[in-house]
Amino acid sequence: MLFQSSPQSNFPHAQSASQISICAEHITMFFRSGRQEIPILKELNWETNRGSIALLMGPSGSGKTTFLSILAGLLTPTEGNVYLLGQEITKLSRKKRTAFRRQHIGFIFQNFNLFPALTAAENVEIILNIKGLQGKQARYEAQLLLEQVGLELYGNQKPRDLSGGQKQRVAIARALAGSPPLIMADEPTAALDSQSGHQITELLRRLAKEKGTTVLIVTHDPRIQDIADYITYLEDGRFKPTN
Amino acid sequence: MVSLARKNLLEDIPRFLVAQAGILFAVSLITLQTGIFMGFSQSTVKLINNSSADLWVTSQSLVQLELTLPIPVSELIKARNVSGVARAEGLLFSGAQWYPPQGEMARIRVLGFDPSGQLYRPPEIVEGNLKELHQPYTVMINTTDEDSLNVSETGVEVQMNSLPAKVVGMTEGNSSMISNPFIMTSLKNANAYLNAGRRSQIECQLPQGSSQLQCINKFEEIEEPANAQPSSEPRDLVASDIITFILVKAEPEMELSSLKQKLEKNLTQVTAYTQQELIEKTKTYWQQRTGIGFILGLGALVGVIVGVVVVSQILYSSVADHLKEFGTLKAMGASAGMIYRIIIEQALWMAVLGYLPAMILCFGVAYVINNNQGQLLVISAESAIAIFAVTIIMCIGSAIFAIQKVNRVDPAIVFKA
Ligand SMILES: Nc1ncnc2c1ncn2[C@@H]1O[C@H](COP(=O)(O)OP(=O)(O)OP(=O)(O)O)[C@@H](O)[C@H]1O
Ligand SMILES: [Mg+2]
Repeated sequence: MLFQSSPQSNFPHAQSASQISICAEHITMFFRSGRQEIPILKELNWETNRGSIALLMGPSGSGKTTFLSILAGLLTPTEGNVYLLGQEITKLSRKKRTAFRRQHIGFIFQNFNLFPALTAAENVEIILNIKGLQGKQARYEAQLLLEQVGLELYGNQKPRDLSGGQKQRVAIARALAGSPPLIMADEPTAALDSQSGHQITELLRRLAKEKGTTVLIVTHDPRIQDIADYITYLEDGRFKPTN
Repeated sequence: MVSLARKNLLEDIPRFLVAQAGILFAVSLITLQTGIFMGFSQSTVKLINNSSADLWVTSQSLVQLELTLPIPVSELIKARNVSGVARAEGLLFSGAQWYPPQGEMARIRVLGFDPSGQLYRPPEIVEGNLKELHQPYTVMINTTDEDSLNVSETGVEVQMNSLPAKVVGMTEGNSSMISNPFIMTSLKNANAYLNAGRRSQIECQLPQGSSQLQCINKFEEIEEPANAQPSSEPRDLVASDIITFILVKAEPEMELSSLKQKLEKNLTQVTAYTQQELIEKTKTYWQQRTGIGFILGLGALVGVIVGVVVVSQILYSSVADHLKEFGTLKAMGASAGMIYRIIIEQALWMAVLGYLPAMILCFGVAYVINNNQGQLLVISAESAIAIFAVTIIMCIGSAIFAIQKVNRVDPAIVFKA
């Protein structure tokens, strides 16, 4: 297991940069509540290697989602730097960060965040569109991605006609669109029954291993622990060493 | 790109229909209000449009078509002798009282013209023949004025001012929304109805120390017994009778601006207007100097404002409902431009799908109203296009407003339950 102890010196090192996929240095985050500034994350250092599955666990309110949002470039930390694939994204403009996410990150959400008006295939297709693939090519590619998650027969269904597990598989197909090297998932199994949860976990593991994708999963779900290469515990905004 | 905008709109059909009904209402409101305003504006100048005259010559005191002083027939005779004038015809135009055999009397406007002339014709005669107006004491009325005049067919005999009148024909497309009904008759008849007992003469004098002769038109009333029964046919007009306008057709090669100057120089105390100038002057008077123009203009403006508010509300709440979807797109790397495109596409769909049924509705309403009430509502091709442009601008404007909301969304919203 890998804990927070990343080198304090100037990152990235020439040698480790090629291996390290996500690196966070001295991440501190305050949220303003009224006149008070509440510290949510305190001086976090964290990194994970390419192609590995990393788990971030911890009790509710410990700051997991906040940390994930910072790693993804969706939130800017009060202090600290984030490097993704060797690129310091905390330095980038909003526009460039958006472009970075487009090219390099796939997302999976607890509540799927599918577009209810679109069919399963269109849900995947629109993300391919965003990533530059258009028309027939995008439709074909969307079909391939649905096959990879075992939903080739469900392309024309709207999300409301799919089960929770199927929805999350559509979301995974969508996250895989454009083969991003990073996948970030927030509680991907929390809304699923245990069997679907298990299937989703297995699917994530297989895809990560086949494609060499770095997967970061924020979860409460102890069943996912089996597939993890690293587990980090967050409590009260600090990492907590465990057995 | 997958059309998220269109699919989001059609996803919830009842909601979509309610939203479109709101836009339809807003567009219809604008169309009807501006249509009434335009119908009103046009009705004030319909008489001018029905004439083929190049120039309208009248008293210098003219304020608008229906507010001017009379000029003597002698000026008409002079005008005919001005070189460059191909034709000149008189037009007599004034208010009178209308006493139908049954029902209440009415205030009317008598329009006297030459039935065998060329420069003014009633727009459309649906019953009777123009020639019949040569008969003494005959008139034509507008079909849409039947109710206000208490006359429903030709052949009815009524009294106009102190003289009898027989309705010998019906016209269409000549009614006015703001003024009293038009009664059309020959110049000769009109003169009998309107000018009984009035005469004019031109008085000229040489002011002291000046070599310029100064002339003015003078009118005088002659004592005549009221309610005189016509002892004979109306007489022909003489030089001292009065008319309201001289309609002038220019020679083909004649330049209008120089003919105008010539007429103004050769005639006494007159101004010559081109058709367009008189239309502008009259429309401007009604639009700017009267309460009715102001009220209708205000109505049209309120229509636009209500439209903008309704459309903004609808689009804004629709975007707010889908905020998380926009957040998801942003998280997954959709650029601001892509998101604007989706919202603007949605606005355009709403604009087009609200505009089309609204126009069909308004044209239907206009058709029904205009058939029964005369040209109250005017929706021209230009105004239909302009309203389409307003609808698009309205929707895009609201879209820009809605885009602000998406711009402010916390990107971390995507992880919130
Ligand atoms: N935008 C915000 N403004 C203020 N406080 C916030 C904001 N977002 C999160 N917080 C606070 O930060 C703390 C950590 O929230 P976060 O969502 O990261 O926790 P979490 O570990 O993901 O919890 P859970 O397991 O319930 O999802 C919470 O106390 C939360 O109230
Ligand atoms: Mg969370």
